[in-house]
Amino acid sequence: MIENLQLGIETAVSPENLLWCFIGVLLGTIIGLLPGLGSATGVAILLPVTLTFEPVTALIMLAGIYYGSQYGASTSSILISTPGDSSSVVLTLDGYQMARKGRAGAALALSAIASFVAAILSLIGLITLAGPIARFALNFGPAENLAVMLLGLATIVSFAGSNVLRGVTMAAAGILVSLVGVASGFSTARFTFGSANLLSGLDFIAVMIGIFAVGEVLHQIRRGGERPIRAGFRDLLVTRAELRRAAAPSLRGTGVGFATGVLPGAGATLASFIAYGIEKQVSRFRTQMGKGAPEGVAAPEAANNAAANASFIPTLALGIPGSGTTAVLLGAFVIFGLQPGPLLFEQEPRLVWGLLLSFFIGNLILLVLNLPLAPVFAQLLRIPYPYLYPFVLMMSFIGAFALGNNTFTMAVVFFAGILGYFMKRYDFPAAPFVLGMVLGPLLERSLIQTSALGDGNLLIVFESPIGAILMSAAILAFAYPLASGIIRGARNRRKEPQEVGS
Amino acid sequence: MRKKTIAIGSALASSALVLSGCGDGGTAEGYAASGNVTMIVPFAAGGGSDIAGRATAAGLEEVTDRTITVQNIDGGSGAVGYSEFLGRNGDGNYLLATETALVALPLTQDVEFTYQDFTPIMKLGEDFTIIVANGDSELDSCTDLVEKASSERTVVAIAGETGLDNITFSLIEDETGASFDRVPFESGGDMITALMGNQIEAISVNPGEVAGQLESGDVKALCAASEERYEYEGFEHIETAAEQGIDVAFAQFRGVLAPGGISEEARDYWIEQAQAYAETEAYTTYIEDNLLQPTVEYGDDFGDYLAENEQEIREALDL
Repeated sequence: MIENLQLGIETAVSPENLLWCFIGVLLGTIIGLLPGLGSATGVAILLPVTLTFEPVTALIMLAGIYYGSQYGASTSSILISTPGDSSSVVLTLDGYQMARKGRAGAALALSAIASFVAAILSLIGLITLAGPIARFALNFGPAENLAVMLLGLATIVSFAGSNVLRGVTMAAAGILVSLVGVASGFSTARFTFGSANLLSGLDFIAVMIGIFAVGEVLHQIRRGGERPIRAGFRDLLVTRAELRRAAAPSLRGTGVGFATGVLPGAGATLASFIAYGIEKQVSRFRTQMGKGAPEGVAAPEAANNAAANASFIPTLALGIPGSGTTAVLLGAFVIFGLQPGPLLFEQEPRLVWGLLLSFFIGNLILLVLNLPLAPVFAQLLRIPYPYLYPFVLMMSFIGAFALGNNTFTMAVVFFAGILGYFMKRYDFPAAPFVLGMVLGPLLERSLIQTSALGDGNLLIVFESPIGAILMSAAILAFAYPLASGIIRGARNRRKEPQEVGS
Repeated sequence: MRKKTIAIGSALASSALVLSGCGDGGTAEGYAASGNVTMIVPFAAGGGSDIAGRATAAGLEEVTDRTITVQNIDGGSGAVGYSEFLGRNGDGNYLLATETALVALPLTQDVEFTYQDFTPIMKLGEDFTIIVANGDSELDSCTDLVEKASSERTVVAIAGETGLDNITFSLIEDETGASFDRVPFESGGDMITALMGNQIEAISVNPGEVAGQLESGDVKALCAASEERYEYEGFEHIETAAEQGIDVAFAQFRGVLAPGGISEEARDYWIEQAQAYAETEAYTTYIEDNLLQPTVEYGDDFGDYLAENEQEIREALDL
């Protein structure tokens, strides 16, 4: 172990590897910032550039793009409510609200710190326990995954805010939208109206860009007259109180993210939602969440970083991809003549340990890079709206085009924008809609798989101990907030009968 | 319905002809081998099609001394990219990195193209599948698997209805009378995960996808659904299905298409360049890295292969 670490450090700190690690995380940050350009695409596009490198150098840079983009993606969520990547959608809830209150610098700094803490903790987990964890995760078959998805769906209750019915409606709408296209494992097209563009469904990121960025711009235009947020220098810095409030959520987020990231099929987006949902249940400041609470920034940000790192566990330990981006990275291994698989740690110790230790260095670079940049980026909000909004719209549509290299996704962004505007105007929460869209395909797939495995009997979900525990947790997660809400409601009604109508 | 599809297709084709009249390189007669070339990959960056497209584009760039840009046009399991390509009718400066979706999509989806709408240039090679089970499985050969599937419920994973693996299992069923229960998965990676987690009995995958797990003993090969044994190191001991008495072999092809309606000269030019590419080191590296079989074919031979391939898929899936 010590020997391996030494070997890894030697490899990671060679001047060439340090340089490319830096370039990788920098490019990752930029790719993360740009809506529509996700880490998977970024890695795939830059892969050919690295073909002349040493394999370890190339992989250090490509991996840097991956975790670097997790830092960058939150920046645009916080500043202009435009998620750079699907795993940063939740950041638009509290991060953007913090920015609207003039705390953009603080929100950006908090997200960088939470990311860093989560990255370091999850890396320690990755280095010490990759093998055993990966083997354990294999116990999660379709039935167990179905239970995880139901648990994820249960967090809708926390997102729904004051009106559970609206939340559930929006989640159902999200699932419905996710059903467009050819179902997993079948060849029947649904809701495509004969359009080839719809065969693979509505692009999730395009819908997000529409609802959040375009919808928000339209909403602000209608309200009109708002002044740019002028924050003084002191407002740009994160306060000690905010740091203290973010500490526990960061740790919880890391745990959730790590566990979710290891599982096949779940991923960073779901991790960030579950982490937010948990805070909404357990935090002392849960009533402030959604209005710019530091907890709502730290927890999901920690979760998506931990999940991104954890997705390397099945990738490196077993040679099976833990996320879309690691799937592309596995392709890169093959191109470099390496054979990903359970023997990789033994056959290529210099490569694996060099890569793992470069993660520490890369994350350190990202922290040093992002902390001073936070106040600088926050200055972006000083731009008067007549200039800022056209810029946001332009970025949104360029991002949309980049998604599929065709104009159809731009139309999706446009219509999703109009939908987003009306959702804001009539107070329909966007987060459950997003969660429905993320979970819809995953839920459907594990449902079909479970049904096929059980020969039509869905109760096999309860057969394995893991499945039974998860299902109980899901039922509890659904029932508890509802029940406590009803009880609290009943109590309040007795106390203040006048306020029922509000 | 069919009539309508054809009508739309020809309308599109004719409008594309009008459009391409304005562009360069796409004159109806003759072919000026100049200007930039675009290679469309109808799948997202990073997948097998993308790797094939980029390798071929780089190789052709070398032999033609022209700039060839790869453009990923993703969507509809490939349908969007092929539809876009249909709109390039007559333009000799477009190419497309093709594979089995070219034949399978028109058979199962309401799309406006068939393989006959394009000009076949080159078949790069073929990717057969091997059938593997968990390393601890009591099965040792495809004969064992078929025996089990004939007497009790046997669950296998497939990646979609038109996937190579579903076709392979369907062919085995037709050949032996066994029957498999199928669980659909999204990708090869997901199927290997489920196999290693003992959720399913067997899968049929491209050898490149399980090389690492085979070497470590986490999975074991039952047989290769190929015509001949693999010559690659670590795969040469795997018996073919035919050796075990199950006469089944089915491959996914990879190749290069030009748009329909291009001039004879343009077609001959690209076939010539493709032949030059197949002689290069770059071609051999691509084939070997991805464990493909280098069964190259050009032009009309490739076209005949596509016709045969369509017939086979039709029969295997009872379409």
